[in-house]
Amino acid sequence: MLSESIWILPALPALGALANGLLGARWREKDIAAVAVGSVGLALATALALLAQMLSLPAGDRTFSVTLWRWLSDGALHVRVGFLLDSLAMVMVMVILFVGFLIHLYSAGYMKGEPGYRRYFVCLNLFVFFMLVLVLADNLVVTFVGWEGVGLCSYLLIGFWHEKKSACDAGRKAFVVNRIGDFGFLLGILMAAVTFGTVNYGDLARLLATGPAVSEGAVAAIALLLFVGAMGKSAQFPLHVWLPDAMEGPTPVSALIHAATMVNAGVYLMCRIAPFLEAPAVLPVIAVVGLVTALYASFCALGQRDIKRVLAYSTVSQIGYMFVALGCGLWAAGMFHLLTHGIFKGLLFLAAGAVIHALDGEQDLGRMGGLLRDLPAVSVTFMAGLLALAGIFPLSGFVSKDAILWGGFERYGTLFWVAAFGGALMTALYSGKLFSAFLGRRRFEGHPHRPGPLIVMPLATLAVFSLLAGIPGLPLFTADTFFARFLGMPAAQAAPDAAAHTLEVVLTVLQSLAVIAVLAGAIRLFTRERRLADPAVLASGFGIDNFYDLLLVRPLKACARFFAVIIDPRLIDGAVNGLGSLSLALGRLSAGLQTGQLRHYAVSLVAGAFVLIAITACLAGGF
Amino acid sequence: MSLEHVVGLGIVLFAIGAAGFFLRSNTVVLLLCIEVMLNAVNLILAGFSRYLHGAEGQVYIFMIMTVAAAEAAVGLAIIVALYRLLKTLDMSRINFLKG
Repeated sequence: MLSESIWILPALPALGALANGLLGARWREKDIAAVAVGSVGLALATALALLAQMLSLPAGDRTFSVTLWRWLSDGALHVRVGFLLDSLAMVMVMVILFVGFLIHLYSAGYMKGEPGYRRYFVCLNLFVFFMLVLVLADNLVVTFVGWEGVGLCSYLLIGFWHEKKSACDAGRKAFVVNRIGDFGFLLGILMAAVTFGTVNYGDLARLLATGPAVSEGAVAAIALLLFVGAMGKSAQFPLHVWLPDAMEGPTPVSALIHAATMVNAGVYLMCRIAPFLEAPAVLPVIAVVGLVTALYASFCALGQRDIKRVLAYSTVSQIGYMFVALGCGLWAAGMFHLLTHGIFKGLLFLAAGAVIHALDGEQDLGRMGGLLRDLPAVSVTFMAGLLALAGIFPLSGFVSKDAILWGGFERYGTLFWVAAFGGALMTALYSGKLFSAFLGRRRFEGHPHRPGPLIVMPLATLAVFSLLAGIPGLPLFTADTFFARFLGMPAAQAAPDAAAHTLEVVLTVLQSLAVIAVLAGAIRLFTRERRLADPAVLASGFGIDNFYDLLLVRPLKACARFFAVIIDPRLIDGAVNGLGSLSLALGRLSAGLQTGQLRHYAVSLVAGAFVLIAITACLAGGF
Repeated sequence: MSLEHVVGLGIVLFAIGAAGFFLRSNTVVLLLCIEVMLNAVNLILAGFSRYLHGAEGQVYIFMIMTVAAAEAAVGLAIIVALYRLLKTLDMSRINFLKG
């Protein structure tokens, strides 16, 4: 049965990575790409078959699970390596494999002629493998394995051009900042294991619902510790600093890892442990962190000149919105925004990559303009993605963001809504800034070369989907959307009364009009008048990097220097070298006994024998 | 001929061999001194064997004689090699084994 063998999903990309990694040294680029793309394509086909099978089942039975083997079985904790594919995991699997497949296809064209072609595809396949392990795991520990694996692949791919120092630094930064979050994740796992004696998601939910009473504080602590892990991986304020720098990697990597899949892992994790979030004070914390991130990052996005950095901050901001949704208790709305964002942000990054490629590596928005005439296909798809990002009716971004804004209004009141809506307006503003690359007059000296079909095809597919991906979120203004029904989780709180319903509709219409007005104004502002001036405070992300530098990096470096200059050479080397010279001196001293004269040796031999005899005799009491 | 006579003779022989080993420096003579010491020990073993009416001492004698023969063969070969190398057999001048 197909449903019994969901392990095939991660196994396929793993095989692709192994084949390319172990055997591919002499293969041509074409073969390497075929193996890599083919393995992900096969996995996508399998996932589609599983989806069809899942949809044919009644809503309650849509869970496939399989236990592969026992991993740890000693002591109080039992960990089994098992996979669980329910509708929640299915959404992630579809995003990962669908967007992942298109990005693999795109990469085959984009990375052509790159010296590290094989290394690139091995890492990319490995990433898909770990991401699927993360998503399919049926317990926290296996999720953590995937979690660390995607972190590793992210590190490897950010530093793909390792001869560039800035790329290596960015990779290291991503790894170190993620480590802070992972520490929280690990503590959360340990605490869950100590408190409940299991790390299995199903068992945890069952124990939480019906098991012996556990203090609410412990549950909240577990939830918040896991949330710290999610903050690191999903680049939430204040652990967001690695994501803008991660743009040093190849652009398809930014699209796959740092927009569509890995950075959303935190949102997915929170949905997985949804029963824990019911503990008091957890949801407001998540909502506030998400809101602060969404607002903060949208301001930063406005201050960037680098097209990829704008998109990076935009990603941070949109993931903030997902956490806002989770913080309102709207799992389905959060997951839905994850789905639509994965599609349109993947599209935006891929299109940005095509633009950068066409302009010979130019990333500065100030030198782009009027690209619509030179690169029509790329420009049109990019602008479709931008409209979806800004949330223009009726594109996908509109449907998913609207549910979140209304949820925030309903749960946390007007002030919360004003802030969240402000972020949405900022989104429209920086989207307008990106429009300036395609409209207006030409600014690029030289001739942009048009991308090949391997690059345009994924763009077109993603563009169509970012226009259509809002459909599962229909019908509007109800809790019972197609998506929520598939997920089996509410998209909005209990059915609102008629007055609230009217208010929701009015608010949505007003929001839409405001967003359209801001977007139109921004396009005019940035295209006609070229107000690309970047306040330094926005460009540097409000100086958070400098702050961390002052607070953490410099003291650590000073500490390291102290150890390197004082402790290591003086104390440690001193002790080691001292032992060496001590034995040398002792050896020199005793070397004098060795004269080389045979009779001296003979005399000492006989004298020693006499001494031994004397001692024995004394001990025996002979004298 | 009592045990004392035999053991006394053995001790004297051993002392002569040891003194020769300490005082002389010709390598061949040193080898001879070693033989004298070994045979002194053999003599004492034979004496005790007779005194105690046991055969173990005589067994040891045969072992020591075998070892002494082997040692003499190896020792003489070394002496020949040494002489070829250094053109001397004076042990006080052969002192390379030192720290």
